[in-house]
Amino acid sequence: MSWLLSLPLFIPFVAGVVSFLLKDGPGGRWASVLGSAAMLVASGALMTTVLREGVVAGQMGGWPAPFGISLVADYLSAVMVVITAITALAVSIYAMADVEARIARLGYHALFQILIAGVAGAFLTGDLFNLYVWFEVMLIASFGLLVMGGSKEQIDGGVKYVALNLVSTILFLTGIGLMYGMTGTLNMADLALIVPTLENQGLVTVVAMMFMVAFGVKAAVFPLFFWLPAAYHTPSFSTSAVFAGLLTKVGVYALIRMFTLVFVGDISFTHEVLLWVACFTMVTGVLGAAAQNDFRKILSFHIVSQIGYMILGLALMTPLAIVGAVFYLVHHIIVKANLFLVAGVASKIAGSTELKRIGGLYATAPLLAVLFLVPAFSLAGFPPLSGFWAKFILVKATLEDGRGFVAFIALAVGALTIFSMTKIWAEAFWSPHPDNQEPKLSTLSKGERRALLMPIAGLAVLTCIIGLFPEPFVQFAEGSAAQLLDSSAYIEAVLGVSE
Amino acid sequence: MSESSHFLFLIALLPFIGALLPGLMIRAGRTACAVFTAVPTALALILLMMLAPAVMRGEVVQAEIEWLPQLGLSASFFLDGLGLLFATMILGVGLLITLYARFYLSGDDPMGQFYTYLLLFQGAMLGIVISGNILLLLIFWELTSLSSFLLIGYWKHLPEGRQGARMALAVTGAGGLAMIGGMLILGDIVGSYELVDILAAGDAIRASEWYLPALILILLGAFTKSAQFPFHFWLPHAMAAPTPVSAYLHSATMVKAGIFLMARMWPVLSGTDAWFYIVATTGLVTMVLGAVIALFKDDLKALLAFSTVSHLGLLTMLLGFGTQAAAVAAVFHIINHLTFKAALFMTAGIVDHETHTRDIKRLGGLRHLMPITFVIGTVTALSMAGIPFFNGFLSKEMMLEEASHTKWLGSYYVIPVFATLGALLSVAYSYRFIVHVFLGPERDDYPHKPHDPPFGMWAAPALLAVLVLVIGIMPVLAEAVVTVAANAVTGADLHPHLKIWHGVTPALYMSVFAIIGGGVLLAVHAPLQRFWNAAPRPEAKEIFEWLVDSVAGLSRRITDISHNGAISRYLAIFVVTSVAVGAAAFFGSGLAAPTRGLLSVPPVIAVGWFMLIVATVSVVMMHHSRFRALVLIGVIGLTISAGFVYLSAPDLALTQISVETVTIMLLLLALHFLPKSTPKESPLGLKIRDGVIAVLAGAGVAGLAYAFMLRDIGTISDFHIANSYEGGGGTNVVNVILVDFRGYDTYGEIIVLGIAGLIIYAVMHALLDGPASRRLRNVDYSQDRSRDRHPLMMVVVTRVLMPLAAMVGLYIFLRGHNEPGGGFVAGLVIAIALLMQYMASGFAWTQARQRIQYHAMIGTGVVIAGLTGIGSWLFGSPFLTSSYTYIHLPPIEEFEVATAMLFDLGVFLTVLGAVMLMLYSLSRIARYAGETVNLEPMDYDPAKTGSGDREEA
Repeated sequence: MSWLLSLPLFIPFVAGVVSFLLKDGPGGRWASVLGSAAMLVASGALMTTVLREGVVAGQMGGWPAPFGISLVADYLSAVMVVITAITALAVSIYAMADVEARIARLGYHALFQILIAGVAGAFLTGDLFNLYVWFEVMLIASFGLLVMGGSKEQIDGGVKYVALNLVSTILFLTGIGLMYGMTGTLNMADLALIVPTLENQGLVTVVAMMFMVAFGVKAAVFPLFFWLPAAYHTPSFSTSAVFAGLLTKVGVYALIRMFTLVFVGDISFTHEVLLWVACFTMVTGVLGAAAQNDFRKILSFHIVSQIGYMILGLALMTPLAIVGAVFYLVHHIIVKANLFLVAGVASKIAGSTELKRIGGLYATAPLLAVLFLVPAFSLAGFPPLSGFWAKFILVKATLEDGRGFVAFIALAVGALTIFSMTKIWAEAFWSPHPDNQEPKLSTLSKGERRALLMPIAGLAVLTCIIGLFPEPFVQFAEGSAAQLLDSSAYIEAVLGVSE
Repeated sequence: MSESSHFLFLIALLPFIGALLPGLMIRAGRTACAVFTAVPTALALILLMMLAPAVMRGEVVQAEIEWLPQLGLSASFFLDGLGLLFATMILGVGLLITLYARFYLSGDDPMGQFYTYLLLFQGAMLGIVISGNILLLLIFWELTSLSSFLLIGYWKHLPEGRQGARMALAVTGAGGLAMIGGMLILGDIVGSYELVDILAAGDAIRASEWYLPALILILLGAFTKSAQFPFHFWLPHAMAAPTPVSAYLHSATMVKAGIFLMARMWPVLSGTDAWFYIVATTGLVTMVLGAVIALFKDDLKALLAFSTVSHLGLLTMLLGFGTQAAAVAAVFHIINHLTFKAALFMTAGIVDHETHTRDIKRLGGLRHLMPITFVIGTVTALSMAGIPFFNGFLSKEMMLEEASHTKWLGSYYVIPVFATLGALLSVAYSYRFIVHVFLGPERDDYPHKPHDPPFGMWAAPALLAVLVLVIGIMPVLAEAVVTVAANAVTGADLHPHLKIWHGVTPALYMSVFAIIGGGVLLAVHAPLQRFWNAAPRPEAKEIFEWLVDSVAGLSRRITDISHNGAISRYLAIFVVTSVAVGAAAFFGSGLAAPTRGLLSVPPVIAVGWFMLIVATVSVVMMHHSRFRALVLIGVIGLTISAGFVYLSAPDLALTQISVETVTIMLLLLALHFLPKSTPKESPLGLKIRDGVIAVLAGAGVAGLAYAFMLRDIGTISDFHIANSYEGGGGTNVVNVILVDFRGYDTYGEIIVLGIAGLIIYAVMHALLDGPASRRLRNVDYSQDRSRDRHPLMMVVVTRVLMPLAAMVGLYIFLRGHNEPGGGFVAGLVIAIALLMQYMASGFAWTQARQRIQYHAMIGTGVVIAGLTGIGSWLFGSPFLTSSYTYIHLPPIEEFEVATAMLFDLGVFLTVLGAVMLMLYSLSRIARYAGETVNLEPMDYDPAKTGSGDREEA
């Protein structure tokens, strides 16, 4: 089982090395695409195994848990890895046409694959310190992708990004140290067993808050999200897309993992804090977006706002709320990455991402308009697209929990999201181009069109499928929520003992 | 599943499937496109008519398939009298609009898109009225918002079209979201989202404590959709749409969705005071307000739009009364309003199409020029006015009758008076539509010479006008439909009789008063309008825009404050947040007594501790001078290494020392290209703020550490110590942990290190291509440059040290598994040895003497480590499972070989490669910056005469 667990991590890693060796030619790009495809196959295999056998675990180096490092895949981890592979495949195809040769020669595609490996590693690890290691891998790789272009804005955004993330990883590391100091173990399953037996639960909660802040920075929640809008609109569109889709979600995943598995002793405090965080994140993100006039900046702020919904699901901690959080995660990765990809094509053919400086895309590039409409209205929560279900489940869970005001916030933020999406639609697509240009897809070469539009179309179709046939996805999310709320299967798979 | 339920699914699906056709058929021509839009609509209508007999008998046709049972959602459909009435209207008018639009749209308009959106909208609307599950209804509800957005913004080149569409979507979309909340509460109360169950649970719903929130939220949805005050403002702006859209959306469909919802929920939500006062009052206000504004609008479509608002208010008020008779009146008026309003919109469209203006001020006297249009317009406008023998009269009479005996807050006058006023105004603007457009003298300044349109364009309104007359004269014909629909609304078994003459009733007086008063009002219209235009009044649109702008402004301010781009502010917020939540957690819970005592402080520790503090404080004090700050940071690092030695952690100390050395050296080199001092930027206040934050954070961490160290802990280290030799083949537990127990972590970390090297290289490369390189070239380094850059003494000493250092590195590497050391430290030691060569003799000179590619070195290191790990898969073991054996090679002693060592070799190579690549990157800048390169190892070589030759790089 262990090789299947580590494949989704090693494939992108190997693809990264190969791509680096071939970086001067087209082989670098293709290695990245093939790696992503292979990763998708491997993660699909992992997913089937998890569906068949429940939680699976493997021990690195053959050392029994908790002494070595465990890899664990439950429903949540498995689906995150699959969705990572899907995003990686889409973006690596897109990047073939998006990334300039100058940057590709510096090893862009290799770094991209390493980033994916880091993300997959974070989703699959069952060890706290190992999670830190993958955070580092992601951080360094993403920093590289951010600043590779070498422009002033990129360096500026990259430095802010790396500084704030470094500070948060230091906090994370301190938390790990204290955690180890308290429990003497780093294995998450083992922690889940030991933490409730500790005498000083107050100290546990303090450490829990350190983790919350550290992961909160990663997840870009209020009030720690500044680095995201500062950095996400500067790099290449491929980079933006994969960041927007995956990076913050690693933070959300870590929050969900730790605050369902380990830190569940003082829910009335920790999850109440999370609830506030969720509300403020939703609101500040969407307000921030309302103030923007740039395609990518609007999307960046919406990431923040949407993260709030996922945190909301975690904060409520009811089965339905967790279902909502998991569903939201999956939906959001697909939709958000896709929107950035669309923004890239729009910018390529219309000349800018500034809404004031582009327009007319609906008349001259109707295909792109349709491809924007699907993720945009999914994000805004219109049926029958995936975002509707995600929002719907969460609002339902909130109301069932008797929190009318929070439900009101969630719905009101949805209304503002609609407003932002129609802003982009009206200004970039409907209104005529300010310079009376006619931005056409045919200005791109055939190969470019194929590489740029295929992934967008694929992700849009996926959005529609989830929207029209939500049942299996909801069912899966329910299974995932059940595993998260009752961690005995997880613990047993890792440690071989039940609680 | 019965045949009829299959039909029901088909009816629901047909428009959506049909929506694919127009886009394809447009290639075959505009008429083909229109025909193929009509086909699915007509088919659905035929199917509906096949179900109609059963529904008219009072049966309810149902169909259901599961969709998302976990959430209580099923694709269930439900056709009763109310649904049948609405579905017929939607499909019937849909057909008429399809016909009308074929002639209305010009050649420039993309017709395929239009019909696609129209069918999508029609499907969504149809879905609302035949949904048997309120969640399904919600879905269709949102779909109408979405598809109407596309329809309203169809003329995308018009700014008002785009704005109107966005406003409509913002308002109705927000209302839809509110309704989601309401429906969820409703389902929660009932325990089911099926309409059948909900309709049966009226008493439970009204008794629930959640009734009021549910009611308000659902009404928010209905009011926004049906443009009730104060949400009425979006409707007139939606008039920027092509007229067929207006005619469809604002007569039969979109705005009627809210009315439908109130009618659908009437049995469960009505009958309470809350319902009466909210719904009836809103309806009354909307009716009067809409009518007043309509009277003073000069744009034909705006006049009709506000009259629609007014009539929707009338319907809302009737439903709000909560009586069965009022419900009957409402149902009847729904039919009547549809017939005359759709025809009126189309008439307005014809006038606009033929004269190229909709401005009443520029029209008049069209009756001879456009006789057919005149007849249609007059018939339908008179119906809108409520003149006898036109169908509008009948339902208005019924409305007035109901109003005449409805009490509001104890007053018998409020509702009748305002209802009459509304009717009077309605008469006035209807007269105005006829008189100011068609009557009066013919003019010679129409923007375009008007004449009647082709048959295809007036056929649809003519048909509706005929309906107006037929129902108006023989209301009994509509009785069956009204009965079955009213029964569906009320859930009762009613037998209303629709007739023209009700005898002399209060309603008759009110009606007569309205009809005469309306005429009088029109006579004094001109001065009234001057007064109206001069009077200040709140413009809903401006308020909406102000609201939007102020939200945007507010958020811009908030964003500007929190995102001013200064990293120090971000860090301050981060630290304050961490401290605050940490403190909240700490003080929210108690702490058990410590289990360990304090140790005494030996002098050596006190000294070290004091050094640390001095150095740290000095860094803060002297950070403006970057060089000094670096030196001080080095002091801190070394003190910490000493601390590790004291605490018997030689591995850590060794690592710390070498890391410290390498980093400081690299930083010093980097500092060469940076300003030597940090500018003073922070004012005193900011310094104090940051100082306080820093002290708080430091105190927090220290307190936490203190609390932890006073308490005993459990640990798993015993396992590692016990298994280090047995399982990992090494006696140095730290090293075995690094390369074996937790080799996987180390593996991740060397990737990080390797990539860091590569990124520094890549960024340098990108920078030197960009504008930064120009700045670099222009910097003059000659001032702070030593004359003797490669001093003899240093060259000699480093040469001597080189083999020694290499030996030490190898030794440290080899012994690592059993004694302090290992690949990481060894890599750093060798790197330091090489670094010294570079520092002594310059980069180019040294570089020319070694042939290893650093990129490759990193790659090889990572690959070796990876392959070591993967190798264990071949033996069926997990990744990085190590094995070891003992080898005896004479003449040396028996020694151990472990696969972990191979892994360590990977670590070694990566570390060395990464450090050297960083150095290489830095030296590249130097050469870019115009630094000269020496050919000789030292500047002054006593073996030769003169100084070494130099040449430009």
